[in-house]
Amino acid sequence: MNLIWLQRLTCSGNTHSLLSSEDANLVFEEFEVLFHPSFSVESEEEVIKKVLKKGKLNILVVEGAINKEDDIVKKLCKIADYVIAVGSCAVYGNLPALKDKDVSGLQFRFKEKGGILGKSFISRKGYPVINLSGCPANPEWITGTLLKIKSKRKLNLDELGRPKEYYNSLAHWGCSRNEFFEWKVEAKSLGKEKGCLFYHFGCRGPLTHSTCNVILWNGVNSKTRAGTPCFGCTEYDFPRENLWETKQYAGIPAELPLGVSKRGYIMVSGMAKMFAPERLKNED
Amino acid sequence: MKIEKQVLTRVEGEAVLHLEWDKGKIIDAKINIPNTRGIEKVLEGRPFMDALVINPRVCGICGHAHLIATAMALEKVLGIESISTKAKIVRSITQLTEMIQNHIKWFYFFVMPDFVKINENLNEYKSFKGVQWRKAVSISSEIVKVIALFAGQWPHSSYAIPGGITSTFGEREVFRAKNYIKKTKDFFLKEVVGIDEEEFLKLRKKGNFGELKGDFGRFLELVYENEMHNIGKAYNRFLSGGGLYLCLKPSYKKGKGRRCKFNVEEVKELNPPDYTKARPVRYKGLPYETGPLARQLLYKNPFVKKLYSLYEDSYLTRVSARVLEIWELLSLIEKLLEKLIEHLDEKSFEGEINKQASGQGVSFIEAARGTLIHKVVVEKGKIMKYEIITPSQWNLGPRCNKYLGVAEKAIIGLDSELKAEMVLRSFDLCSVCTTH
Ligand code: SF4
Repeated sequence: MNLIWLQRLTCSGNTHSLLSSEDANLVFEEFEVLFHPSFSVESEEEVIKKVLKKGKLNILVVEGAINKEDDIVKKLCKIADYVIAVGSCAVYGNLPALKDKDVSGLQFRFKEKGGILGKSFISRKGYPVINLSGCPANPEWITGTLLKIKSKRKLNLDELGRPKEYYNSLAHWGCSRNEFFEWKVEAKSLGKEKGCLFYHFGCRGPLTHSTCNVILWNGVNSKTRAGTPCFGCTEYDFPRENLWETKQYAGIPAELPLGVSKRGYIMVSGMAKMFAPERLKNED
Repeated sequence: MKIEKQVLTRVEGEAVLHLEWDKGKIIDAKINIPNTRGIEKVLEGRPFMDALVINPRVCGICGHAHLIATAMALEKVLGIESISTKAKIVRSITQLTEMIQNHIKWFYFFVMPDFVKINENLNEYKSFKGVQWRKAVSISSEIVKVIALFAGQWPHSSYAIPGGITSTFGEREVFRAKNYIKKTKDFFLKEVVGIDEEEFLKLRKKGNFGELKGDFGRFLELVYENEMHNIGKAYNRFLSGGGLYLCLKPSYKKGKGRRCKFNVEEVKELNPPDYTKARPVRYKGLPYETGPLARQLLYKNPFVKKLYSLYEDSYLTRVSARVLEIWELLSLIEKLLEKLIEHLDEKSFEGEINKQASGQGVSFIEAARGTLIHKVVVEKGKIMKYEIITPSQWNLGPRCNKYLGVAEKAIIGLDSELKAEMVLRSFDLCSVCTTH
């Protein structure tokens, strides 16, 4: 299978995420990479000209937000069997789209479906754009998705085009602070091993589709394990304003864990707080 | 006169090189960075803590340097004068580690494949398939684990905050980090310089770079073979303002080695000329080269000193300084990890962050490519203005009314397009940083 990886308005973070996977070499082994701007000796223009002339391409990966006038990307999407948007810029537009309305993701502009390819875009193998959101996407999501396509297994995508195996659960799953969340014991300040970051410090773990706390970053850690709140970088509204604080109304987080009712939250958290074990509240 | 335009691959981000030729020589070179993402604009009006999340996104390969610079600039705003030694050490460790992965990737992915263009038989250095290229991919994922152990993840962590760091850890993390550093050291000795530690240290003492083997040795051979040891000279004027090396006074070197103290007030960002979106930077009105060559000269690295005395600020010296800095960084991290063990009981974060603060803050640190400067103005907790001056702006930024950009100067006079590209790559262009 051959593959072209293009970069547009990007920090190259997803390329470096790919290189941070222990399986990166498997990708270079399994795919014939026709072009990647960080690695190729040939020029982008020449390679694309050849590929368009042939009219066949197995995989197109786009990293970075795209200008709506980018005909090259549109043309390549038309002939590619699979189109992958890697990273939240290519998926939603993200940072580069915030101050430029001509810039968007491949099939989305933030929440709105459409992007530069349009709502109904389907690649040759029958999939919409396969979206690997995240700023950047976790290394294993990139290698995992590519290798799965290679193995010809069917992809299960959610309504945003994201592979369910990586985006069906929440960043909250597997966080080492889960028990503190459960008993509503909040971290007293940043820089502490104990305590959950949901109530004060803006943690988006219970609202963010990702497997960052199950498929650990660089195989060893995650933001919340390292005491940093999850900023929800796999969702369209990243980066929201005031990222380190939880907005509250009358002492209740303005946004509750996905699917949890306000009534339910108040009841459960009241009970939890009342019966929270002392060992969770101690400083060390 | 012939004019040529080349869109470059194997640089961080997008860049176009315009060359003007006359009688087989390059008479003018313009580096064009066509894109900007407007990150400084995105920051305006936001609560200042948001900068800790947004600024790493300036750059996928050196975002950690942007994080540390942000935390330090905000500390100035908040009047935080000190953080725990533990936090300070860990910030240095993660920052230095980021530089190592940068240098390794740059040497194997950007520099060596240029020689494959000259000599097709260099199979081991070929992109995607070459044995040595693949080894560089493997070690890239190993070394960044050191950052992730302390910072949660790489790329794009936000673990450094004004007043310290968010993470807590113990001996186990330190031991694991040591192990990854050891593996990288093994990689350096076995693959990059091809000799054992004892022998390497002996050569280092005398600065005998010519006896190094491995991929660096191969690089040397190729440079001499292609007569590239004397090309690519720029202004011979260096700047290193980050004060990363504890023993190094922030200073600059000109001509015979005159040094002076780095004063961040003297740094001025000018408006870009019409061919690029990148803004030129000048120190006291003059262009300066920053980065590993500047650092290693100031640090008196014996290899680099010798190279410099023979070939001045040439392609060869510049590339060598970057590659050989890997060892210095690894040794420094080893020492810092030893020291960290003694400070593990300290707090990660101290004090309070006044979310309504007003004030100004400037920070400067050493990133992989050289001196990085952040300037922020905060009013009642909101960012009014944020200015980022990146190392690539110094080295690869455009001309001003009086002077060519540093890399532009280094390219003029060359006789081939490939050499022009190679000299440009010797500066390790990061275009995503340059315009941000
Ligand atoms: S810190 Fe965030 S991810 Fe972890 S348990 Fe609390 S809410 Fe969930």
